[in-house]
Amino acid sequence: MAALDYPRGYWAELTRAERGVTAFLVAFGALLLFGLLSGGLAPAYFLYLVGIGGMYALLSFGLNSQWGFTGLINFSVAAFFGIGAYGTALMTGNTSPIAGGFNPLVGLLVALVLAAVLAVLIGVPTLRLRADYLAIASLGLAEVVRTIVKNQRGWTNGTAGIRGIPSFFEGWPVLATFPTAMPTLEVVVSPGWRTAIDVPFVGLGLEFEIPASTLVLGTSFWRALLNVALVLTFLGASYALLRRVHRSPWGRVLRTIRSDEDLARALGKHTYSFKMQSFVLGSLLMALAGVFYAHLNLFVSPGDLDPITTFYVWVAVILGGSGSNRGALFGGFVVVAIRQGTRFLNEFAWIPFDVAPLRLLLIGVLIVVLMRYRPQGVLPPQRELIWPSAVDEAPSRPDSGVREAKGGGGGE
Amino acid sequence: MVLLDHIASGLIFSSIIVLGSIGLSLVYSIADFANFAHGDTMTVGAYSAFVAFGFVGGLGGAVLGLPFGFFAALLVGIVAAAVVAVVTEKVVYEGLDVDSIGMLITSIGIAFVYRALVQMYFGADPVRYDIQALRPIEWLLPYEIRVTQHDVAIVVSAAVLVTGLHVLLQYSDLGRKMRAMADNPDLARVSGIRTDRIKLWTWIIGAGLAGAGGVFLGLYNLLNPRMGFDLLLLIFAAVILGGIGSVYGAMLGGFLIGMIHELVPLFTQLGTVLPLVPDSFAIPISNQYASAVAFVIMVVVLLLRPRGIAGEAV
Repeated sequence: MAALDYPRGYWAELTRAERGVTAFLVAFGALLLFGLLSGGLAPAYFLYLVGIGGMYALLSFGLNSQWGFTGLINFSVAAFFGIGAYGTALMTGNTSPIAGGFNPLVGLLVALVLAAVLAVLIGVPTLRLRADYLAIASLGLAEVVRTIVKNQRGWTNGTAGIRGIPSFFEGWPVLATFPTAMPTLEVVVSPGWRTAIDVPFVGLGLEFEIPASTLVLGTSFWRALLNVALVLTFLGASYALLRRVHRSPWGRVLRTIRSDEDLARALGKHTYSFKMQSFVLGSLLMALAGVFYAHLNLFVSPGDLDPITTFYVWVAVILGGSGSNRGALFGGFVVVAIRQGTRFLNEFAWIPFDVAPLRLLLIGVLIVVLMRYRPQGVLPPQRELIWPSAVDEAPSRPDSGVREAKGGGGGE
Repeated sequence: MVLLDHIASGLIFSSIIVLGSIGLSLVYSIADFANFAHGDTMTVGAYSAFVAFGFVGGLGGAVLGLPFGFFAALLVGIVAAAVVAVVTEKVVYEGLDVDSIGMLITSIGIAFVYRALVQMYFGADPVRYDIQALRPIEWLLPYEIRVTQHDVAIVVSAAVLVTGLHVLLQYSDLGRKMRAMADNPDLARVSGIRTDRIKLWTWIIGAGLAGAGGVFLGLYNLLNPRMGFDLLLLIFAAVILGGIGSVYGAMLGGFLIGMIHELVPLFTQLGTVLPLVPDSFAIPISNQYASAVAFVIMVVVLLLRPRGIAGEAV
């Protein structure tokens, strides 16, 4: 790792935004670590949060490959997420009205096929439309999907939802019994580390200390660990896939369509078919996130298709920087921090208003502030769209430049 | 006949949709973006009227079962929605340096802010105007039409507002400038029209009508923080159906979408309503799908006539 071998050089090469994000991540990680060690944050719950964060990152990858690369304004993220979750739930869940009891791998396959079919169904009428019409039409069609899931009791159990979904590793050789087979570990955190900070002028003394606590790592911890491993696998695979395809000629066509569709058409590209391929690819990633969610939550209901999910994912992508996959990764985790972080506020009784809308307010303000001051996002795409070798081999300046010829060189 | 009852409720619902869709269409054509905060502007109007009604509710006599205080509150709702929209335009939209897609995304953020603030203040539970609910009008009952005087008031008020807008657009100086600007903003500008000012008036008129629509929606149903956002897609459907940028198209689109929305419950008993078809004839779509049917119609219209029924063909 370059970052470990030459920390100073690595730091110097980062842009200002990248430094800010790195510092933020380190600080946030330290905060979480403090929470873990002091016993305020249960390890299993912490892993659950990581899993949800990974799920949002997957959704953001999907939307990024549609909006960030091809410029498709898809407002039906929640529909594809829901189809993915329902696809696997219907195949594996106990109370599924259709099938049930299948291996989760079958569920995964069915979910992806369903999502691809839905993507084509939504894409055929909407992808020909002007960009802002696509936004409205896809939001409308997502509502149609939600209405169907909610009301067709014979297919989906309606508002009762589907229960009894097994974990994703049910029926696998070793992993199925891994959580129960692992011994319960007890980690004793001994007290000792303490520090006091005196804030000058205000006369305020802050004292930090890690109290003694025992972390019990039982079955639920191991199960959560497996889930995190699963979502990290999904994430890694899709990141690698997206990185590869977006650097390919296919990805270059997509970026051309985003910046100027008429140009792409003039170059002889069948833009509609490229847009459809990109739309289906992104939708498959969203469905993958849905599959993970179903096996994490073990219960799905029509509430999971609420359009608010769509807007959360949009915030993640815009925050991270449209067209940037590492930005999407960052945005996904930040959105989860906002969503889950505001839940803790419920414990403070002195807040004089309902805190539930506070989350909505934060998200809304975040959107407006971003569009006002940094519409390109925190981590806009830079080098990641170019082959690394192309950057490394290119001369940093031309062999005989105008500057040398005119000014004698050297004096920059 | 049961058909008449559905047509009557279609008319009432249409009036609300029309009030919303006119403003959305105006802003779409003059500020040039799809304003996702329009539905929540309706919510703002409804809740402002709710607050105002608490102060002036007991005012004066009554017309059509509504105290004069309600109409005063309606005025407050209209003004509040217009003020909020103008402040938003001045504070947020005017300083933005993004394309129309960026504006669209920003307006979603604005919508969330409106809704969150309303919910913080009033809570998530539905509330209602403190007005006695009325029994359906007696002499219409033999025809199986169940409408109250309040419903009549909604339709009449909407008609008055829409007629006023028509007069404004056709016969006033401001109306001519607005039409010129919707037609071709650059040409309007070089002709000496102060387009900034016209844009502001567009926000005032559009948001004011939306505020009125919100107040009537609150009277027709209940008030809750999601009321406007839930109606937004239907309003978009109406605007697209009528043709974006055309005010009269938006009226027609709003009327059609409102009617379709209220007639969908008839689909399962179509045979008994229509003449010349057997009684058992029915379309198996239940009334939960009323909005879904409207959205599908919207998508079909977008495919066949992207400029809507009132816009010129492509």
